[in-house]
Amino acid sequence: MKRFCKLFCVVLFVFSIVSVAHAENEVRIGVIFPLTGSAASTGQVLLEGVKLATDIINNKYKLNMPLAATEGLPNLKGAKIKIIVADHQGKPEIGMAEAERLITQEKVVAIIGCYNSAITATASQAAERYGIPFLNDSSTSPTLTERGFKWFFRATPNDDLLSENFYNFLNDLKKKKNIKINSIALFSENTLFGADSVKFQQKYADKYGYTVNGTVLYPAKSTQLTSEIQKLKSYNSSIVLQTSYIADAILSMKTYRELNYAPDAILANNAGFNDPEFVKTLGNDANFIISREVWAKDLANVKPMIKTIADMFQKRTGKTMDGSSSRSFTAMIVLADAINRARSTEPEKIHKALLETDIKGSQLIVPWDGVKFDAKTHQNVLGKGIIVQVQNGEYYTVWPFNLATKEVVWPFPKWDKR
Amino acid sequence: MKNKLPVIAFLLFFCCLIFFPLVFKTPFPRHVLIMVFLYATMGIGWNIIGGYAGQVSFGNAAFFGVGAYSSAILLVHFGISPWVGMLVGVLLSALLAVIVGYPCFRLQGHYFAIATIAVGEIVMVAFLNWNFAGAAVGIYLPILEQSLKNFEFHTSKLPYYYIIVCIFLFALAVCYFMEKSRWGYYFRAIKNDPDGACSLGINIRKYKLYAFILSAVITSICGTFYAQYILYIHPSSTMDLMMSIQICIIVLIGGLGKLFGPVLGAIIFVPLTELTRVYLGSQGQGMDFIIYALIIMVIAIMRPQGLWGVFSREARGTR
Amino acid sequence: MEGILAQTIVSGLLIGFLYALIAVGLTMIFGVMDIVNFAHGDYLMVAMYFSFWLFFLFGFDPLFSLPIVTILLFGLGVITYYLIIRPIINAPMLSQIFVTFGLLIFLRGLAQFLWKVDYRMIPQTLSSGNIEAFGIYFGKPQIIAAAGAVICNGVILWFLKKTRLGMALEAVAEDKEAARLMGIDSDRMYALAWGIGIASVGIAGVLLSSFYYVFPEVGANFGLIAFVVVALGGFGSIPGAFIAGIIVGLVEVLSGFLIAPSLKFMFVLAIYLAVVFVRPQGLLGHK
Repeated sequence: MKRFCKLFCVVLFVFSIVSVAHAENEVRIGVIFPLTGSAASTGQVLLEGVKLATDIINNKYKLNMPLAATEGLPNLKGAKIKIIVADHQGKPEIGMAEAERLITQEKVVAIIGCYNSAITATASQAAERYGIPFLNDSSTSPTLTERGFKWFFRATPNDDLLSENFYNFLNDLKKKKNIKINSIALFSENTLFGADSVKFQQKYADKYGYTVNGTVLYPAKSTQLTSEIQKLKSYNSSIVLQTSYIADAILSMKTYRELNYAPDAILANNAGFNDPEFVKTLGNDANFIISREVWAKDLANVKPMIKTIADMFQKRTGKTMDGSSSRSFTAMIVLADAINRARSTEPEKIHKALLETDIKGSQLIVPWDGVKFDAKTHQNVLGKGIIVQVQNGEYYTVWPFNLATKEVVWPFPKWDKR
Repeated sequence: MKNKLPVIAFLLFFCCLIFFPLVFKTPFPRHVLIMVFLYATMGIGWNIIGGYAGQVSFGNAAFFGVGAYSSAILLVHFGISPWVGMLVGVLLSALLAVIVGYPCFRLQGHYFAIATIAVGEIVMVAFLNWNFAGAAVGIYLPILEQSLKNFEFHTSKLPYYYIIVCIFLFALAVCYFMEKSRWGYYFRAIKNDPDGACSLGINIRKYKLYAFILSAVITSICGTFYAQYILYIHPSSTMDLMMSIQICIIVLIGGLGKLFGPVLGAIIFVPLTELTRVYLGSQGQGMDFIIYALIIMVIAIMRPQGLWGVFSREARGTR
Repeated sequence: MEGILAQTIVSGLLIGFLYALIAVGLTMIFGVMDIVNFAHGDYLMVAMYFSFWLFFLFGFDPLFSLPIVTILLFGLGVITYYLIIRPIINAPMLSQIFVTFGLLIFLRGLAQFLWKVDYRMIPQTLSSGNIEAFGIYFGKPQIIAAAGAVICNGVILWFLKKTRLGMALEAVAEDKEAARLMGIDSDRMYALAWGIGIASVGIAGVLLSSFYYVFPEVGANFGLIAFVVVALGGFGSIPGAFIAGIIVGLVEVLSGFLIAPSLKFMFVLAIYLAVVFVRPQGLLGHK
């Protein structure tokens, strides 16, 4: 058995030498997203973000952003980035298989992906086995960076930090507006994303001294949420912290209205509440939802470059840029910047360059202070979230106050008074 | 000569098994091969209860999940070798089969089918809410040094391939001896003529239960293998209703109640889904499902006995 | 607390009526020809899409598109019967299951292909809004759906028991050969059963579309519940499906409220198992 393994390693080695020699002026990067299945619409948007970033790197643009001003990667004789796209369909074993295929057959030097945390888990495992850098753009499950992987890096802030943001926001708001918050209820869907989020929401509630009156977890695929919302009602909390995917987000809003339930605020944990379909489907009923975000169009007031990129994105795809595409875009820039500084496509050198990454906040289209990976966990330590509120069918930044474009509407108006 | 032909055919098949991965050197085709034999083994497991004994179970994914979770929990929380975990999983699955099977085998036809769906879903909901087993987040298996003892291999898929082939051959052997034994005869009697079987003095419920236990054991071993191969499990990847149904479809495509039916089904089905995904999945959305559905419907209408008949008839012709 | 409990029971009843309406077509088809249509929930999806598009393209309120969609779905049911079901009518149970299962995947794939994976919803309808009575809120669309369910179940039952055509259908269900000798064409009766069965799920789809979103896999959410309802009530029994629908709705809502929402399906399924272990033919089914 061992001999087989050795033989295989030799074959792999020969192949990798051949491939490096063969593709000298092209840097192949694997991109794995859910292009079909239930998360398909998000997957397509994520892919467009990566494509736009690739275009900016490969051609000349006047932008204050790494690699925009040059064609290709200057330190690699102007080599161009070529992305190889794969679809994981939302299934962990397919994510793993596709990562392996990209590494061994398509000879990619690094991988970006995979959106769903469960699939990022298995795909990054494949990258870890083959020793290929894996840069995660938008999976927020904190567990991922706690596995002690050598090759796994995460650019986006994770749920740990983003959950803490809610309480920072509440504290700031209490100071500013002199409001009262008696207690909090947690409301979440019961899959990987929701279950993980609730853990951190609870942890920070304890840390910041908020009482959690109760937690309601509901199964995915629910046909109705009446009993759940009745339960929330019975907790009588002034704030509901909700984690839902798009289908349940819509269903819960309908049910809130049907049962005439309006707490002081519904703080949503991104995902379904920030899907373009959310406002489109609910119209005015979507108003006044407060949600955490990683990106908003009105950030352009503070960083004008955001508008330029968002317009380019709109022109190319006909879709508006959002939190997903802005993060996949950023991941591609971060990765290309590292490969450029590595002056090589050797995994070890890219790994070292990624660790030395230090991109300033002003060069990014996301509201982070920059990109810098923790030496041990490889989590970006300069990531930051914002809080937005839906007003008149648009998302506006309401926190941090120095980035805000609108005043927050508090409390959530009663259903018959809007 | 008459009796030698199947033996020769089997030896040829066996040689192919050994040499397949040497033809396909890159990991992706090897992954597909591993999935083929994983599904073929699960198909054999289902075939015993569904094909031979004629009881349509849509809950086999529960046994897969129990197998996957038993070894994973023992490894993560107690540091016990997955090989031991596999045995524990087998015992627990057999136990679950008895608990579920005993009352359910009173039910006829569709009532039984829906009851197995119910059991499968209940097990899944239980795991989704069981914090010790990671609840909805699932379990990340620790990455250990690669060795046969640890049941983990990182640099090559070959060991995984040969392990699943061994499991597959074991399941095939179990099924073969079952088919030839008194059990196989009883199972078929229960399927074709339950009243007749009863009047012959066969304890129907007991033999249905035996078939269910065999089925559960084989499926559970597959679950442990999956957990060690993917190294990350969560309820919806190991116990989904869709998985139970896929297993049935494989057997149906191949041939119900035929020893090699599930193998043929898996050889056709798994690469087909992989290919439609790679070539059609990213273009027209849903196109892969449409083609896949048409194939299932055409086979179910035109050849309800499965595709194995096509081959065996040819074999008969040469005799 | 009492108020909230009363509200919960009302909500459970309303959703229960809807489950009963979705299930009635399934149980009727089974009653006539012993076939379980696994794609039943996906016809619900098709009806919801029809209703959505009629609204989106022509501005038809679901209440107006109800007759149109019902007729369309009736036709679809008849076509399905002739194309797919007739060839397997005497095949073993397993091939019947797989044909309808293939149909399920086909309809979902087609919906994904034609209409994309986006979630869609009719924003405002004539029936939007809610009514308050005794501190309990009733969603208007839910009340209309519940009323529709009661009427539709009643009409189907009346049709089967009191009309000539319905009695002919029952006769075929009882004994195909005897019915043939009496000059009843069983083939046409089967087609009629499929037409009515699918049309009734079409009605459910339209009523549902005024307060529920539609996407290609919406049938999966309701399909499984419909099977449990039909099996609980007894395959082929229309009053059984009606009672079982209400039981499932109430158990789901009450266990979700009183115990834990994340376990609510477990209780629904456990109720089913408990009933069939005692009565293997379901509540009102006969052997």
